[in-house]
Amino acid sequence: MNQVGSFRREEKSIMGSSKKRTGTLISIQDSLVKARFYQDVIMGETAEITVEGKQLQAEVLQIEAESTGENTGIVEMQVFEDLTGAQIGDLVEFKGKPLSVLLGPGLLTSIWDGLQNPLYKLSEQNAYLVPGMKAPALDEEKLWNFTPMLKVGDIVKGGDAIGSVPEGRLEHKILVPFSFGKCKIESIEAKCELNITQQVAMIIDEQNNSHILKLVFHQPVKSPIPFKERAIPSDTISTGVRVIDLLAPVGYGGTVGNPGPFGAGKTVLQHSLCKYALADIIIMAACGERAGEAVEVFKDFAELEDPSTGESLMNRMCIFGNTSSMPVAAREASVFIALTVGEYYRYQGYNVILLADSTSRWAQALRERSGRQGDIPGPEAFPMDIPDQIKGMYQRAGADAGTGGSLTFIGTVSPAGGNFQEPVTQSTMDATGGFWGLSQDRADAKKYPAIDPLVYTNSVYDSFISDTDRNKILQTLHEANGIDQTISTIGLKKVPLDKYVQYQKGQTIDFCVMQQDAFHEIDACTRPERLGLINIAVQKLIDNPIEFSQNEMEDEELKAVVKTKFDELRQWWKDWNSSAQNEEQLDGLSNKIEQFIKQEEVVL
Amino acid sequence: MIRKEINRISEVGKALISVEGNPGVALNHVVELLEADTKQSLSFAKAINITEKSTRFQVFNGTQGLSTQTKIRMHEVPLTAGFSYNMLGRSFDGVGKVADGGPEVIFDKQVSTRLDTLNPTVRLVPKQALWTGIPMIDVFNTLVKSQKIPIFAGPTEPYNRLLSQIAQGAQADIIIFAGIGLKFDEYQYFKKQLSQSGNIDKTIMFSHLAGDSQIKGLMLPDVALGVAREFADQGKDVLVLLTDMTNWSNILRNVANYQDQIPSLQGYPGSLYSELAKRYEVAADIDGAGSITIIGATTLESLEDPVPDNTGYITEGQLFLENGKLKLARSLSRLKQAVNGKTRDDHRPIMTAMASLLAEAEKAYEAAEVGAANDAFSQKLLSYREDFITNMEEPFGEPIELELALDRCWDILKRHFEPTETGLSKKLIEKYWDL
Repeated sequence: MNQVGSFRREEKSIMGSSKKRTGTLISIQDSLVKARFYQDVIMGETAEITVEGKQLQAEVLQIEAESTGENTGIVEMQVFEDLTGAQIGDLVEFKGKPLSVLLGPGLLTSIWDGLQNPLYKLSEQNAYLVPGMKAPALDEEKLWNFTPMLKVGDIVKGGDAIGSVPEGRLEHKILVPFSFGKCKIESIEAKCELNITQQVAMIIDEQNNSHILKLVFHQPVKSPIPFKERAIPSDTISTGVRVIDLLAPVGYGGTVGNPGPFGAGKTVLQHSLCKYALADIIIMAACGERAGEAVEVFKDFAELEDPSTGESLMNRMCIFGNTSSMPVAAREASVFIALTVGEYYRYQGYNVILLADSTSRWAQALRERSGRQGDIPGPEAFPMDIPDQIKGMYQRAGADAGTGGSLTFIGTVSPAGGNFQEPVTQSTMDATGGFWGLSQDRADAKKYPAIDPLVYTNSVYDSFISDTDRNKILQTLHEANGIDQTISTIGLKKVPLDKYVQYQKGQTIDFCVMQQDAFHEIDACTRPERLGLINIAVQKLIDNPIEFSQNEMEDEELKAVVKTKFDELRQWWKDWNSSAQNEEQLDGLSNKIEQFIKQEEVVL
Repeated sequence: MIRKEINRISEVGKALISVEGNPGVALNHVVELLEADTKQSLSFAKAINITEKSTRFQVFNGTQGLSTQTKIRMHEVPLTAGFSYNMLGRSFDGVGKVADGGPEVIFDKQVSTRLDTLNPTVRLVPKQALWTGIPMIDVFNTLVKSQKIPIFAGPTEPYNRLLSQIAQGAQADIIIFAGIGLKFDEYQYFKKQLSQSGNIDKTIMFSHLAGDSQIKGLMLPDVALGVAREFADQGKDVLVLLTDMTNWSNILRNVANYQDQIPSLQGYPGSLYSELAKRYEVAADIDGAGSITIIGATTLESLEDPVPDNTGYITEGQLFLENGKLKLARSLSRLKQAVNGKTRDDHRPIMTAMASLLAEAEKAYEAAEVGAANDAFSQKLLSYREDFITNMEEPFGEPIELELALDRCWDILKRHFEPTETGLSKKLIEKYWDL
């Protein structure tokens, strides 16, 4: 944490001297600029560049001393906004703080750009995002009902709660900023209403400096908020998506990579997770993707119900929208900002799911930057250290036994050419505990969700069903796939009847269980109880041999009968998926399968 | 007004020039190049890279004929595009200059070509269908107003014909045609089609012909989209036809190479995705104003090429044209779910059912090639496949209304299958099978 330390000292020295540190631009290319500075510059600190009277935000990437002048040097920076109109000699002011996110009540239901500017507030100024526009990250007027948890004289340290405010139905704890060591409370408000600009407490550190606390504080986005007691993810998340919950589940605090070529259904899957995954909070980082998709989430999903509370779905969400046409440099920031917000709520004991769509765009932003900086490129021109950067990012997810909270990170990957061998997909596979590979073939056949249960799908997390059952399903699907290939190479005639029945069983599991209609009100989400019933039916179908032979029928004729029977079963099951709701209807599935296995002649 | 002039060009390259020192030009601002003696205007150029020691410009008209003696006059503004309703029915080049030999246009105002991002909160969730009369689009991949969608096609496919067919029936107030790297006959074809369909009076054409200056081609989408956006801001529904974005990407690649940028895939700059996205994302249904729909063309050798690949991740689907047919398998309208649930109750189910049968049929077709499709059902699939390609994947011909197209779908299914083989629900079968 040297970085934080140096920043804290810097903050003090600036406060002491109140002297501005400045520089002037000497080179401008796209979003990358160089400036000459005259005092000191800190790696990673932010700066403001004045262009045509507007202040544009930038971040320091590299510092070099200049051999000629005394105390001068050249600093390289990436600028988060369009630089049109910038000139040599434009003023740079260094801020002494690294890129930070404002944490506190009001985060939920918010919609920001990639740098935490609230988009609805910005739209009051202009319909377009013009460089230099700013607005406070959180509402400064809204009053929060503060209840203290500590009293004057109590000892606190960074991360300790001094009180709380209700935020929707959550209890939002007011924390001492994580950068603080041991401090004593000198004053604290009694139960009262406060906005985020007002003082809520005063604390004194061990050097006898006093600090004002408010309901909010800034946290550097590249310094992870610590765990109290990091734990292995143990509880399975009900995502509502059958193929995931059965075969490639994810636990609270887990990590999943979700690659797929375009058109394979990543977006629909992300939207399903937004709607149905059981969690306290969902954070969406729309990173370099279509604006329309983020808009659909915050405009249409607001009318949908949160599956656990019945309130508007937006009440459990916040969205960072650095969409594809927004400045590339802010893309990298947007994912780190979203992660930090996730860690903050995890520290408060909540289960948070972060959906980052897409991590490939994040990696591409790093590629564009390193290209401009003239770094020696790695595979496909990505920076050489991209695998480490990806691992570092996913490592910030996790479960915390100390707080009872968790941060689950589900990142989509958009592999170039749909090729999973490319560097970002490979590094993601290496970095995550679960992997949901979407297949072009399944998408082409409109088999959605196009997660291929047989290829590129795995998970280290527990499922809702036993490992034995999970393996039996996978094995049946594998066998059916093998027989399918045999049929396409040597023809149906030469395939033995029992193999054909096995193939039809696999087809049935695929069609009725693995495939799911994300747009149907009942079929779109399957909860564990229903999933249990389905699993019982599936296991019965797998375990029991079925006798079809009737009165010495010809082989070909018999296979046609088998196909018809299975077709009927599949049609019935599909109807069940989209209609069964009460107990009697739900039990119907198990009965239907038993009858089917015995091949009793009952009216369908 | 007296404008500052710079006297010495230090380097003239392909499409780019540099001057030494820092003349005080700002990033993306425009300068004018003048013949040294006569002070006659040769071209405009844009500052793209500025340092203390030198400034680099992209030259709109190309660098042929420039010398180190050429004078530079500073204009101290970024590139803008002229805007006026008088532009309707007229043709312009990539930087908005009249290009049809007609009289100059008096512009009402100058509009920005910077294409600032529309604040997402100002976007409406698109929900209004855009009917084309083409069954493969209306039934299987319904388009929606404000969608951005390209036609993916090999270079010899009739993609421009399809683009113009879609434009003819389009429910739009204004059509902006943006053509980059066009062959002259393509340009004429569009002009003729737009005239014949009576749409020319609501059309503005921005054209860059193959062989014209590369920088003009590079700038063209920004100028065309800047003008389109002004119409949309004034409440109009605008349809932009963008062809061919592969040509545009190739210019982008050339210019990046002249600038010595480190290439990522196949020589394209690492920013290809962002650059394409910046243009396509202009498509929007704007709260309290009009809308912009972008239908483009992207020619390709292979879907894995960087241009179609990146485009696919940006646009809201793609229409895949192969052998003159619109292929169901790789075509996708991402916004169709927003509208196809409010049409006839069989629309979505029959779309899904026919698509999965076609996927099975494709497998049977492959099996048939090695003689393995010898069972009765495979034979059914094969005849279904033929029927589907002939009657559903054909994009050209008389427009067909949605209900008729849906009826045609049932006819095809009935010709080849038993009801249970279709995977359609009992309810729908009862309602539509024996009509």
